[in-house]
Amino acid sequence: MMPMTLANVGDELMIRKIGGNSDTKRFLESLGFVVGGTVTIVSELSGNVIVNVKGSRVAVSKDMAKRVMV
Amino acid sequence: MEIKIALAGNPNCGKTTLFNLLTGSNQFVGNWPGVTVEKKEGRLKSDKNVIITDLPGIYSLSPYTPEEVVARNYLIDERPDAILNIIDGTNLERNLYLTTQLAELGIPMICAVNMIDVVRKNGDTINTEQLSKRLGCAVCEISALKGTGIKETADLAVKTAQSGEKMIPQHSFCGCVEHALAHIEEAFLHDLPAEQQRWYAVKIFERDGKVLEKLNIPEDTLSHIENDIADCEKEMDDDAESIITNERYIYIAELIKECFKKKKKGGLTISDKIDRIITNRFLALPIFAVVMIIVYYISWTSVGTLLTDWTNDGLFGDGWHLFGNGSAQYEQAQDNFAAENIFTDEVKATVEQAVDADVIGAAEILDAIDGGAFADFDEAYGSYGEELAACGYDISGIVDPAVETMNDTIDPADYGVWVPGIPVLVETGLDNINCVEWLKRLIVDGIIGGVGAVLGFVPQMLVLFIFLAFLEACGYMARVAFVMDRIFRRFGLSGKSFIPMLIGSGCGVPGVMASRTIENERDRRMTIMTTTFIPCGAKMPIIALIAAALFHGAWWLAPSAYFIGVAAIIVSGIMLKKTKMFAGDPAPFVMELPAYHLPTFGNVMRSMWERGSSFIKKAGTIILLSSIFIWAGSSFGWTDGVFGFSTEMELANSILGKIGSAICWIFAPLGFGEPTAAVATIMGLVAKEEVVGVFGVLDFVAMTSLAGYSFLVFNLLCAPCFAAIGAIRREMNSAKWTWFAIGYQCCFAYAVSLMIYQFGLLFTGNVNVLGLIFALAVFAFIVYMLARPYRENVKLSKKKTLKV
Repeated sequence: MMPMTLANVGDELMIRKIGGNSDTKRFLESLGFVVGGTVTIVSELSGNVIVNVKGSRVAVSKDMAKRVMV
Repeated sequence: MEIKIALAGNPNCGKTTLFNLLTGSNQFVGNWPGVTVEKKEGRLKSDKNVIITDLPGIYSLSPYTPEEVVARNYLIDERPDAILNIIDGTNLERNLYLTTQLAELGIPMICAVNMIDVVRKNGDTINTEQLSKRLGCAVCEISALKGTGIKETADLAVKTAQSGEKMIPQHSFCGCVEHALAHIEEAFLHDLPAEQQRWYAVKIFERDGKVLEKLNIPEDTLSHIENDIADCEKEMDDDAESIITNERYIYIAELIKECFKKKKKGGLTISDKIDRIITNRFLALPIFAVVMIIVYYISWTSVGTLLTDWTNDGLFGDGWHLFGNGSAQYEQAQDNFAAENIFTDEVKATVEQAVDADVIGAAEILDAIDGGAFADFDEAYGSYGEELAACGYDISGIVDPAVETMNDTIDPADYGVWVPGIPVLVETGLDNINCVEWLKRLIVDGIIGGVGAVLGFVPQMLVLFIFLAFLEACGYMARVAFVMDRIFRRFGLSGKSFIPMLIGSGCGVPGVMASRTIENERDRRMTIMTTTFIPCGAKMPIIALIAAALFHGAWWLAPSAYFIGVAAIIVSGIMLKKTKMFAGDPAPFVMELPAYHLPTFGNVMRSMWERGSSFIKKAGTIILLSSIFIWAGSSFGWTDGVFGFSTEMELANSILGKIGSAICWIFAPLGFGEPTAAVATIMGLVAKEEVVGVFGVLDFVAMTSLAGYSFLVFNLLCAPCFAAIGAIRREMNSAKWTWFAIGYQCCFAYAVSLMIYQFGLLFTGNVNVLGLIFALAVFAFIVYMLARPYRENVKLSKKKTLKV
């Protein structure tokens, strides 16, 4: 298990855990980040990532991305 | 009877486009989540009894951003007669997540699968019949962009609303969750209407703070319910919220399997491929720089300047040749006349002497004479003629009478098709009705001159807005915000603050307005306060003037102005973030990046017009009033001790001049405590380029270059012009915050100028002890504000939870 920020561009990964406070977590979940679902890393910029999740592209800043464990 | 239908759906799924189609209104649509921040209402085109509400886009009914709160509160408290749920067909899975939640509200609902044209083009199929059966509500296919299926959907929505058939959610959660939900309903919710019980039960199960507070459940019931939830959590080995979320996604996965067929699996879409390049670690910033240089080059230098020159010199000047017809001949005639009568050997010899003596501007005048074009000469002479005369190289004796003769003999109206400008037309009209002189001057010089000067920027702004609207609508701006976020986060702003500042480098008014896309209120307020620190187009002439008059045209002055602007934003950002008002965690940057697409022509134009027209409206109101005020202030005054009106009023004798003398002491510690500088600063409030109008080049003789730089910095950073202040007032939506913003800007400008002047004096050896002490104190204060530890304000967050 590692934070999403460490994954390589192009990797398709399964989400294993989502941390953070419940507001942040809930927002990520409503965007499609759920345990057991997959994300694809499209781009990475010093920790900030763009991922493909459930068919849409979402930009996530580092402080939020590191709470998503893959 | 009136029927209320709410449009609900994910951000950027086409709600606003559909809203425009249904109601015939012209709301601006952007390819950028968060375009609709407030809900908007309109009446259905075909049936005026139906009110359509456009809600901000939401991802779920658990509110996270302010617009989600607006949408949720509307749905729960107002309970519209029907929900028209718009589902982006290209992103079915995520969109259905909200659908499952909307279904639980028990409000009659129909679903419209939007972007069906794109789905078909991709070769995918959606079985809407099966979807309808499984969701338990009508589902229709539409394309808001192409306008297909709209009427059927509207009719169906109205019919559903009239029937009042409550939506019954078809999905169920797993055994133990249903058990707990049944307990909750039985224990507390049995008084509520049956169709609403489900939603409240789920929310109580999720321990939704706002719902618990609203329902005010008695202590013993709550602990009883809590036991059920805890049991369930134990069984599922997860927290209540995640259980519900997962259950929803499992149900959606089933639906997708039955109803949706994707042509090809996996692989990168075109948007993904573009994103790989555009947001690439190394290429992102260079690509962005190139895009911006192109946009600015076109809007400020080539096309924009052409249009602005026409507005200033043609429409609000003497007039213009229709389609340039006759301009060339007219200029040729002028040049010929000038070569014979103005560019005489005598004039040339005098100017050459001035060049040898290193008089400022002499070289420009000589170049223009050698070039032979009268227009160039006129411009150079206008700027530097007085300077030449002051240094003893007077050419006005020959030039002025010759120019006068030329203007009398060569009339532009004789060449081609000449259209007179507005001031000329009005003046002729007023002469015909024998208008009193002072009224004529008020109308022509005060109103038309003042308002025209500001409107002169409109064409340039419109060109810029077209580009920005295009970049926004195609999806690039969302990426820019992402790319800039890592830089802006360091000093307490979000990536979304960058766009307002970028636009602000052209004009502060649209810059301030662009801050509307920032969802976090603190970030938005801070962006509004700091955007005008960036030198706007109107501040350029001030920089050019100071550079020419006091720094021998030093090249570094303009970049230093930008540097000071950026530094002011960074310093303010860090300082303000640490104050009580702006305390709190910066909102984490999470934004959906829409797929790239070519925007429609109409949408780009609508966006341009929305921004442009509010600027024009401002020119018609606040700038109009202040133009009259300034005109009166400079035309009325005391000549030989008698108060009166004169068009030739000396500035020092006018009301404005007197005000300037009365307040100029304020600026003494900054090095420019003289009436002219004070008046110029006041004039700068109307429009920054007015500052230049007050000063001739000569007025700077008494000023040291240090004082000049201090004056420049103060005018760059202090309160912006009235138009921008108006925009700040509108975006802050609070008089208190507007005054705070302006007060902060002025104090900050004063502090920076004070430091520059006093420390400058120190280094040049002319220490002013008292001033230096004050400057040191200000410096120490700013350093303290920058360095003091960041403290999370506990009180504020407490209050916040209470309020929700």
